[in-house]
Amino acid sequence: MSVDIDATRATRFDPSRRRLLAAFGALGASAALSLWPRLNLAATGADTRLLVVLLRGAMDGLHLLPPQGDADYARLRGALAVGDALRLDGHFGLHPALPFAHQLYARKQLLPVLAVAPPYRQRSHFDAQDCLENGSDRPGGARDGWLGRCVGALGDDAAGVAVAQVMPLAMRGSERVATWSPPLPRPLDDALMLRLQTLYAADPQLAAAFDDALQVEDAEMAGGMAGSGADAGTNTGTPTVTATATAGRRLGGFRLPDALAAAARRMRGAEGARVGFVEDTGWDTHRGQTQALQRKFGELDAGLRAVEQGLGTDWARTVVVLATEFGRTAAVNGSGGTDHGVGSHALLAGGAVRGGRIAGDWPGLGVRDLHDGRDLRATTDLRALFKGVLLTHLGVPEAAVESRIFPDSSAVRAMTGLV
Amino acid sequence: MSSPSQLSAVNRFGLGARPGELAEVAADPRGWLIAQLRPAHVPEGFAGLPSSLELLRIRGELLRGALEQTAAQTRPAAARQAGQDDRMPVDAAQRRAARTRAMPEDRRAGARTLVREGVREIGLRYAHAATTAQPFQERLVRFWSNHFAVSADKNAARSQAAPMEREAIRPHVLGNFADLLLAVETHPAMLLYLDNVASVGEGSRLADVAERRAARRARMAAAGIDADDEMAQTAPPRPVRVPGLNENLAREILELHTLGVDGGYRQDDVRELARAISGWGTPGPRQLANAEHAFVFRAVAHEPGARTVLGRRYAEDGLEQGRAILRDLALHPATARHLSLKLARHFVADAPPPALVERMATAYLRSGGALPALYRAMVTDDAAWSPQARKFRTPDDFVVAAMRAGDLALGDDARGLLRLLDGLGQPVFTPRSPAGFPDTTADWATGDALRKRVQAASALAARMRSPLLPAELARQTLGSDAVGGDLGALLRRAGSPQEGHALLFASPAFQWRV
Repeated sequence: MSVDIDATRATRFDPSRRRLLAAFGALGASAALSLWPRLNLAATGADTRLLVVLLRGAMDGLHLLPPQGDADYARLRGALAVGDALRLDGHFGLHPALPFAHQLYARKQLLPVLAVAPPYRQRSHFDAQDCLENGSDRPGGARDGWLGRCVGALGDDAAGVAVAQVMPLAMRGSERVATWSPPLPRPLDDALMLRLQTLYAADPQLAAAFDDALQVEDAEMAGGMAGSGADAGTNTGTPTVTATATAGRRLGGFRLPDALAAAARRMRGAEGARVGFVEDTGWDTHRGQTQALQRKFGELDAGLRAVEQGLGTDWARTVVVLATEFGRTAAVNGSGGTDHGVGSHALLAGGAVRGGRIAGDWPGLGVRDLHDGRDLRATTDLRALFKGVLLTHLGVPEAAVESRIFPDSSAVRAMTGLV
Repeated sequence: MSSPSQLSAVNRFGLGARPGELAEVAADPRGWLIAQLRPAHVPEGFAGLPSSLELLRIRGELLRGALEQTAAQTRPAAARQAGQDDRMPVDAAQRRAARTRAMPEDRRAGARTLVREGVREIGLRYAHAATTAQPFQERLVRFWSNHFAVSADKNAARSQAAPMEREAIRPHVLGNFADLLLAVETHPAMLLYLDNVASVGEGSRLADVAERRAARRARMAAAGIDADDEMAQTAPPRPVRVPGLNENLAREILELHTLGVDGGYRQDDVRELARAISGWGTPGPRQLANAEHAFVFRAVAHEPGARTVLGRRYAEDGLEQGRAILRDLALHPATARHLSLKLARHFVADAPPPALVERMATAYLRSGGALPALYRAMVTDDAAWSPQARKFRTPDDFVVAAMRAGDLALGDDARGLLRLLDGLGQPVFTPRSPAGFPDTTADWATGDALRKRVQAASALAARMRSPLLPAELARQTLGSDAVGGDLGALLRRAGSPQEGHALLFASPAFQWRV
């Protein structure tokens, strides 16, 4: 079965405005006109924003967008099936812990893309994440990341920010990418920094990083470091709190909504970073999936709300991509969870997204539809989605996208009609 | 003047120099390291820490109490009607108050014990690292802890991660890798963290019973009989969950712990290994009181039958079946290469010389998997002593090196240290995934991270107990060459010893293991 495949899907992107208009000709003149301002932006790439959120651990797409009308779904998932999903279209619902995302869908600012995966078909988290982040067709296929190379291909004044304590592979490859994480509670002694400058300038491997350190401002966001490790055992006896109201507020923790809010602050305004990257863990639900994902989806929803609030008017020029390294088994496993699989779903959110519909090809859950008889098949290479966003939303030149950013990927056509 | 090898012995292979240590190494850096490959003095105080079994019992009590409390809270209406319990409060406010009271003192004490003993163990671990005269061995312990990473992020495994290092890794760090592997994979920390406690063979007796129960319920539902009176009032009877296989631990054993991701195994091997180790778990709630070990083999949950892993057949042999597979995995050439590469990358360089890795793997296989042979092959190989090789210190390395250099006062409570490492991006025993903390410069050396090191350096310098002035401390930890140039000049000009110590810890030279 195929769901709302975009009419222009097969159209190869061409950066000239006239050809683009021609490509949208099928939509009729008025539709094309209403799209004009966006296309204009995209053609120059002016001031658009891209925030990529990597959900590490394999987020279960079937739990996020339960195919409610599907008898195979109920059969495969049993008690794990999500029964009270929010309605999207006749076939797919949205997990009930995501009411804000559901509003976005109604506002046509949320676009689920079905059955995606990086071009890697084994089931190692770490290799799959490596493949997704390095942008090649295999783990270890590049030493830096496609988003880092993307920042490099944007103009000299474009910057990237990764909300992370260590530089994620996806964002490596450009000196204009910085990391940010909550500062230590102790104030930084600027005099000390300045005196160390000459020493670091002499260290070829650390000089650039130290320059970044001098630029960072951390006048915000204290109080995040109360030390989850320090309180080892505090929560041991109490059952997990699942209320979405408290999502992300572990004792002093810095969770996904905080990270997304921090990214939005750094991407906002004329000086803001064009490209942002946020990562999250805790999606590897081998057991207790119902409870775990109730909490994680609540965090995700709170995070999306934080991005919209944090970006303010820049939300209109933003695409947020939520992706994961692979999906999970179509059937529930023996312990109320799911094991490593292949296809999952991605979500695009933001004011620039052409949402309110569902994109991608649904491969179905019948026994013969499944990959190796066990996993949702992946029908779209995640690179096709990423390429589409880079070309039409950020306005990255096609030559850079096809050669440097996603090497050896000419067979993977960019998705169109995403923004 | 110190030769580079002395510096490498204490920094590249050790935990950073304590004042005087460079002199101890003297003329024989290799000998100094090899002499450390004898049983270490067990840190004082470790003997008094609770065993993993005791910790399981405390946690079991907490869970039981929480469950009973939840059950009690769902009963008030019925109890009120029956008039059986006149203490049962009637309105919400009273119920809330009662709930707080109902958290009985012994449960609160249990929770406090877990936290207190957990923090105490961390304190002992770092105090030992800061003072040990066998720092090479301690580095190896920490290397294996990260190789077999268990994250305290997972609630169930939280209080077991540090005990796993103490009970499973320390006793085997100088032994055979197969024994280390078996000790780790049967430790409750690993069984809980990677979900093997919930894995049940599909053809096991336990699955069989559950299947029959499910079928009975389905038949009764079809016939219009309610299987369970209580449920008749609410929803249709829920399907009975038939337990089954969980392949999480089996996959990570192959991918992370032994062969490595390119080690030549396939999905079928993952399933077969998962079946072989189904039933490996921890004592159930009712067994805990009388249990003698924190590991149990639950025959009722074990998948019966022969297994085939990597083309080799293993006859049904209960617990022995899985153990035999692990012993063979330990001696597989892919495992030898994987372990050698990780060790060389950890100690020598982000991209270690392939020939070094190859020679280490050969020595490992030739010795039948003896870890000291593997370590010895590394430190006796000239390629491991290249003056060009260097490693950027991870936050944990950085903090331990500062503690050793400055004889830092930890205080009676490790909480400050835990907060510091959390802020620096390497929360103790809390890696983001079963792959452990990353181990290359690119992972750690970012601007944000350097900024935090400068902040941390000030905090650490405030805890100095060493009487040495900054330039002398630099000479005794980083070698004479370090104080000859700009760093020495900067340290001598510092406005106070404390400022000088902060500059030393924050300097680029202190961030590298050379």
